[in-house]
Amino acid sequence: MGNFIDLLRNENMKIYSRPRTWIMLGIMLVIMLASDIIAVSVGADTKSMWEAFMLQSILGFNAVVIYSVVIAADSVAGEFSAGTIKLLMIRPWSRSKILLSKYIAIIGFALFFFAALFVWNYLLDGIFFGFSSGTVQEMIGEDSTKNIWNYMLSVYGLQLLATTMMTITLSFLLSTVFRSGGLSIGLSLLLMFMSGTLSGVLSMLDKPWVDYFWFMNENLTQYLLPGDYDHTLGFSLGVLAVYYLVFIAVTWTVFNKRDIAS
Amino acid sequence: MSAPIVQLSNVTKRIGKRTIIDQLSLDLHAGEVYGFLGPNGSGKTTTIRMMVGLMKLSGGEITIKGNSIQTSYEKAIRQVGAIVENPEMYKYMSGYKNLIHFARMVPGITRQRIDEVVKLVGLQARIHDKVKTYSLGMRQRLGVAQAILHKPSLLILDEPTNGLDPAGIRELRDYLRKLAKDEGITVFVSSHLLSEMELMCDRVAIIQNGKLIDERVISQEGPALDAVSRHRFEVDRPADALALLKQHSGAIVQDGIELDIDRETAAWVNAQLVSAGIKVYGFRVHTKSLEDQFIEVTGGETVG
Ligand SMILES: Nc1ncnc2c1ncn2[C@@H]1O[C@H](COP(=O)(O)OP(=O)(O)OP(=O)(O)O)[C@@H](O)[C@H]1O
Ligand SMILES: [Mg+2]
Repeated sequence: MGNFIDLLRNENMKIYSRPRTWIMLGIMLVIMLASDIIAVSVGADTKSMWEAFMLQSILGFNAVVIYSVVIAADSVAGEFSAGTIKLLMIRPWSRSKILLSKYIAIIGFALFFFAALFVWNYLLDGIFFGFSSGTVQEMIGEDSTKNIWNYMLSVYGLQLLATTMMTITLSFLLSTVFRSGGLSIGLSLLLMFMSGTLSGVLSMLDKPWVDYFWFMNENLTQYLLPGDYDHTLGFSLGVLAVYYLVFIAVTWTVFNKRDIAS
Repeated sequence: MSAPIVQLSNVTKRIGKRTIIDQLSLDLHAGEVYGFLGPNGSGKTTTIRMMVGLMKLSGGEITIKGNSIQTSYEKAIRQVGAIVENPEMYKYMSGYKNLIHFARMVPGITRQRIDEVVKLVGLQARIHDKVKTYSLGMRQRLGVAQAILHKPSLLILDEPTNGLDPAGIRELRDYLRKLAKDEGITVFVSSHLLSEMELMCDRVAIIQNGKLIDERVISQEGPALDAVSRHRFEVDRPADALALLKQHSGAIVQDGIELDIDRETAAWVNAQLVSAGIKVYGFRVHTKSLEDQFIEVTGGETVG
């Protein structure tokens, strides 16, 4: 019947007409700027803009995941707690499509923040440390003949796929199932920050099923450099894909089935 | 009468072991204002939630213009505008942006239509302010605006007068009657304000504990001139008065007597009493309000 783009415009309007979205963006950009100022003022021996770029990107990735989780957690739970879900659902749209528009808007939000992070860091580091074409070697201090842009975009892309998408989707799931933004934010961020520790603990167990845990397959960027890894990129992506599909299936099933009685 | 545009047949809702709505059947016709009365917790909101697809039915069927709410939801809901419980809007956006939001969800709503509706509910002066700055009555008005934006054939309002001032209640009442009469929209309103219902509804259903216990037609004109109605005479000697009028069955009440007679007879009775030396302080038609009838049928029970 209607045009799906209109649903997306609605979800975007709800995200971007709130001051908090712009405050989050502002904070992220200020942190990046501050870290450059600190690096310069303490006289850190930053050899090229690319070294700073990589460090800041890793810092920024965490910010983007946290922000996206906040938006994802609020997306469904917020409509329930405000009661607006009742007015949103009684329109000639299936529940699935309304949910999809929310999900896509969240991914759009994460992409927007990733893009902002990338451009801002490039400009800042260029200004502070001098623009240069750079090499992967400058960036991470390891020998590599890879093209720097190719490497960098792969890092951003894999980061987006593995950590960000998985965490957002989990947060969206929790938001839909528990209708509580706080719980959703808390649990998803806890899992994200614990994943390093958890995978360390799990890898000490010498059991074959350990390989199929989400955390064991989360560090995809390592595969960009040649090395001796436990798994292949394909295997890790496969494991994540299975988790992803389960998250999506549970979210949509619960949302479609449940009575809306808030 | 025309075929019903909304049909609830044997609608049942069970949550856990409790039956909240029990075999409820209603037929609503085009252009009528239908009141849905019941004490707190009787199941009005639950019924409305099922009518708009927020809750699934445990049994029975609901059709709107022939489309089942269960199997052709999108077609059925296109015909419906509703407020369920409180008119909750996105508080961080302006009233206007809220309307744009809901307008986008149904194809064919123009900016002119939005402006028209804003004017209709009298929110022009504040429509560009954030909803969080609105009073309850203003939110209620915005709620009505989003419900009629897409020109529905069925308008469902759950306690719409809640929070409105007397002028607002009157405006809403007149507006709902006008919508029903001029545009043939069926209006379904729930309320516990019984006197309200009496003023605006063509028919009312009364539910209690999820069961339909009564359905009646409300006459919007006053009673016909030759209709027999209960008259109350305030007199100084009720017993003597009743003895004098023994051909009419009457009853002694506080300060006087009550008789079931028509208008002409009432004037005659008055003359009789006066000429017999009984003091008549006044007499009036004593109609039972819906309120009394409601208390009567529901037994005055409060929470079901
Ligand atoms: N989600 C739910 N889970 C369990 N019971 C519920 C739920 N929602 C409503 N009920 C019960 O269903 C009954 C009907 O509630 P409902 O809200 O439909 O009443 P109502 O007629 O709208 O009352 P009010 O006049 O107070 O608005 C109540 O007894 C209520 O406790
Ligand atoms: Mg209610």
